[in-house]
Amino acid sequence: MSEEKPFPTQKTYQPGIVFQPEAHRHIGAGINKLVAAIRPTLGPTPRTVAMTRLDDVRKTPEVLDSGGIIARKVIEMGRRDEDMGAMLARALICAQHERMGDGSATAAVLLQAIYSGGVHYLASGGNAMRLRHYLERALVAALDGLDELTEPVAGKDELAKVAESICHDRPLSKLLGEIFDIIGAFGQLDVRKDHSRILRREYIEGMFWNSGLVSRDMITNQKELQTVYEEPAIVIADFQITDPRQIMPMLELAVDHKVEKLLLIAGELSGDAIAGLTMANGKLKNFEVMAVTGPGMNPDDRQDAIEDLAVVTGGLPLLKVTGQNLRDIRWENFGRARRAWASPHNFGIIGGKGDPRHLRRHVSNLQTQYERTDDAENRGRIRARIGKLMGGSATLWIGGLSESEIEARKELAEATADAMRAAVRDGVLPGGGMSYLNCRRRLRPHLNDAADPDERAAYRILYEALAEPARTIYENAGYEPGEVLGWIAQAGNRGGFDVIRENLAECGSLLDAAAVQKMALKNAVMTAGMALTIDVLVHHRTPEIARSPG
Amino acid sequence: MSVTLDLANADDATYALAASPDFARDGICFAACGSGLYRSRDGGESWRKLRTSSELVTTAVAVSPAFAQDRSVFAAVKGGILRSGDAGETWFTAAFPAPPPVFSSLLGSPDFERDGFLLAATIEDGVFSSTDRGARWQPWNFGLFDLNVLCIALSPAWIDNETVYAGTETGFYRSANGGRAWRHTGFPAECAPALCIACIKDGDSRATRLIVGTEQHGLLASCDNGETWERLATDSITGAVNQLHVSSRGDGSLTVFALVEEGILRSDDAGVTWTETLRVPGMPTAMLPLADRILLGVDGRGVALLPSR
Repeated sequence: MSEEKPFPTQKTYQPGIVFQPEAHRHIGAGINKLVAAIRPTLGPTPRTVAMTRLDDVRKTPEVLDSGGIIARKVIEMGRRDEDMGAMLARALICAQHERMGDGSATAAVLLQAIYSGGVHYLASGGNAMRLRHYLERALVAALDGLDELTEPVAGKDELAKVAESICHDRPLSKLLGEIFDIIGAFGQLDVRKDHSRILRREYIEGMFWNSGLVSRDMITNQKELQTVYEEPAIVIADFQITDPRQIMPMLELAVDHKVEKLLLIAGELSGDAIAGLTMANGKLKNFEVMAVTGPGMNPDDRQDAIEDLAVVTGGLPLLKVTGQNLRDIRWENFGRARRAWASPHNFGIIGGKGDPRHLRRHVSNLQTQYERTDDAENRGRIRARIGKLMGGSATLWIGGLSESEIEARKELAEATADAMRAAVRDGVLPGGGMSYLNCRRRLRPHLNDAADPDERAAYRILYEALAEPARTIYENAGYEPGEVLGWIAQAGNRGGFDVIRENLAECGSLLDAAAVQKMALKNAVMTAGMALTIDVLVHHRTPEIARSPG
Repeated sequence: MSVTLDLANADDATYALAASPDFARDGICFAACGSGLYRSRDGGESWRKLRTSSELVTTAVAVSPAFAQDRSVFAAVKGGILRSGDAGETWFTAAFPAPPPVFSSLLGSPDFERDGFLLAATIEDGVFSSTDRGARWQPWNFGLFDLNVLCIALSPAWIDNETVYAGTETGFYRSANGGRAWRHTGFPAECAPALCIACIKDGDSRATRLIVGTEQHGLLASCDNGETWERLATDSITGAVNQLHVSSRGDGSLTVFALVEEGILRSDDAGVTWTETLRVPGMPTAMLPLADRILLGVDGRGVALLPSR
């Protein structure tokens, strides 16, 4: 019996410099290896990839069908030169997956085709920098072609069709279509694991935050563990309230203004302050107060939540940075709402009485911030804020027969939801590789007119590469790509081949998110252009390697 | 002006009027007033107060588009919507969550017989919808930043596109999915509130011409689903436009009626030009133009019956 090799944690390389033509060849080999591992996952009839588990090679291998996840789990290639090419491709694929949730396999095959075409041309004496420049120019023409084909998507049925082309799971797509028809591009969607075997969705009115009542004594409905106030006044403060005497001016002002229900949202409340509020509930006639701690896990989140709450309720928040405390409270500090509810873990507001114009402006500003930021975490945070302010949220409960099935479907639903947001925001394109095939019409005149050999080569390389996603999809579905492309050319329309229905289809029967397709193409061209201009590879003695996937 | 429904209390008001789709034959119409709901079976000549669950202020009334078959009538009172399946003889109540909403408008789908769809607008709680003929109601306010909804209207192509419009205290919203989610339109903020809406099918095209009545800025119209707006008839309309009504003439062309502070205006060219049809003493609060007559609610007086020309 052979002895098991230990899992490699660090490898020592010999230092060295690699020149052309080896540099291009080895980078290409790395890209080819990684893309070959991802290629089978492209299209509506994907095949799977089995991968050794990173934590324990003896465990059952993971079976994956997402290009983004496969690339994330590849942390190094065997040969150091190939490793560089593979890591360039990995960065592209992971960025596509993280930003869009879809299109990573498309980006991978486009990269491979453009790079391989570029290397062939450079071998015959082309200029890499000029080729890169013209590739970027050709990209603009291709993107214009995609823009022409982009159509807005609306209605639950069309949205379900988009979802199905992303996740290939019909029941899940149907629910996602309905959900995104309601919540739109920015709406709040929580995907959660369920104990049942089915998929179900739930819509929640108003907005809610993950922060609950400070004391169970404030729960009035013990059966539902919840307190609901009608027409409450709302005080928002971001500081800690330690002394019960601090709350007296607030209570006096509330009673003077005939407030019957008061919700206090504070940074933190001491035991004495909570006792003071509980006592007020018992002693003051026609007056009730409940308190929750300010939402958010970190100062940034807390500040955002306070800003949003102030806009929604129309109350001026009391802030620590301005040196305010509850003794400074004025009537302008009180916000209002139609209803407020709180449980031990959450609180929510329905029908906040802030100025709707102000709320609309606030949401519009957040949408601008969202468009301008590239940081995935920041985008997620801004999107969650916008989602809350839209006045409702959806929860998708994922059930299944086993824990692993639920986990996989949940991950699929989350990735599909990301791509759906892009589809709702930026429209859809014909799916199944058809949009890339059809946008090539915009490249054809440039290809015919180009006098410069580098320019002509760039247009030709991109023209041919744009057929690669469709070719791969047909191949994965068991067809001979050349034959199918022949059928499409013979049909002469702007359609393509639907590998599910096994017939030539209209553009509208298969749909992809336009933003996903455009970003996949853009990133593939940029990465390929950059890789083509690499002339020399330099290796250190002990290159840094990732300690964990992702 | 002959007042056929004389409201005893001077503080009482007529909030809404509605007629059976087959009014020319059955003469049935309803008046929602501060003192309750009234019904006429003779084209508004005489009225009878209906016994709803209690004598609540009735702010809106709607008659089923399939009234001839289902005899359904809906009336909005504070905190609930009443429904009757026998033209108003007996009533059932659908309750709403507290605090009780105040309804500003109530309407049913043109395809009500099949889809049983109703929409209700409220002053502070946004829009509620029902898909089971008024038995249960759900709030549908996703994207509706302003919950003070003053008017709602269905697109003439509702059956094809499920488009609904809502005028609010601060703007004008559109929903492309039957009111489930709303989007703010390009309605000029300085012209809000939007008090009433008329949707007119623009000739043979699939476009809808929207006309919105405002409190201080007369009428505005949009031909691109609310993205851009132009002002209409600035000379003939100075104050608030409280209600708009679209009537079909025998030849298929449309007349738009506008209820303004001084009386009623009419336009036979989709709102481009307006002529004064009727000058009314007192403050008109609701109107219902019918084939040969106009029912008019006048503040503190009741409902009057007027010839249409």
